[in-house]
Amino acid sequence: MNKKFPIWLHFVLTLAGLVITLYMIFLYAPEEMTMGEVQRIFYVHVPAAWVSLLGFIIIFIASIVYLMKRSQHADELAHATAEVGFIFCTCVLVTGPLWAKPAWGIWWTWSPRLTLTFLLWLLYVAYLMLRSYLVNPGRAANLCAVVGVIGFADVIIDYMAIRWWRTQHPQPVIMGGANSGLDPRMLATLLVGVGAFTILFFLLVRVRLSLAEMRRELSEIRHALAFKLSED
Amino acid sequence: MLWRSNFRRISVVNKYLFLAYSFVWLIFMLYIWNLSRRQTRLQNELDEVKSKVSESASTTTSGPSGS
Repeated sequence: MNKKFPIWLHFVLTLAGLVITLYMIFLYAPEEMTMGEVQRIFYVHVPAAWVSLLGFIIIFIASIVYLMKRSQHADELAHATAEVGFIFCTCVLVTGPLWAKPAWGIWWTWSPRLTLTFLLWLLYVAYLMLRSYLVNPGRAANLCAVVGVIGFADVIIDYMAIRWWRTQHPQPVIMGGANSGLDPRMLATLLVGVGAFTILFFLLVRVRLSLAEMRRELSEIRHALAFKLSED
Repeated sequence: MLWRSNFRRISVVNKYLFLAYSFVWLIFMLYIWNLSRRQTRLQNELDEVKSKVSESASTTTSGPSGS
């Protein structure tokens, strides 16, 4: 993977994607008629939300793989994804109210979509707290894998919330039925934003995984050194 | 008076837009800075441990011949 797709190329692609996204957001996408300029928050809010959900899907799969095969790589992937997913989920929870205030007149309401996204953020927090506070790494990995599997239910309900219930949150604009849809330029901007955020997400996970790899190498060398010293 | 209220509305709206984008960039910058700090620290630790290993290996190999 590293040789086939070097990290510098990944970085360049991410940077290019983000620059193109910014260009499209502010210079290509038309201004929305009712909300005006503030609607442009949509182009970071939705991609960040998509990546938060994607992050937990990866955690779910990696957790199942860990529980079945005890694969350390799967565990490291889940941990790295949780950290990066948490960042994106925080972006969703901050940009959402900043858009809601001028659009709805309120910062927050406990409607299903908002509450479930907040729950997703809490799941990320719980996952990372378990990792930090449990001293035994094996026990932390087991418990986090369980959180990763159970928490996935929230991802499904969160995704379906605006389809199942009438909420304050807008209805889906993609695959949302007959009355949904976007201006083609808005849709193109959104899709490019989703692509750029996804590439950024994988780049950050990749960098975070390299840290886990270094930590593993360090602990292996330390163990070997301690063993050697005890033998001497 | 209408232009004044419109101008006020636009500047308020842009304030939210500005805050949203600023926050997103700030959080990513902070996270990347945090990742690079952790990477530097780990790299230093790794180099230190590796040098200790090579040091202990050289003392072990030179030990018996020296005695």
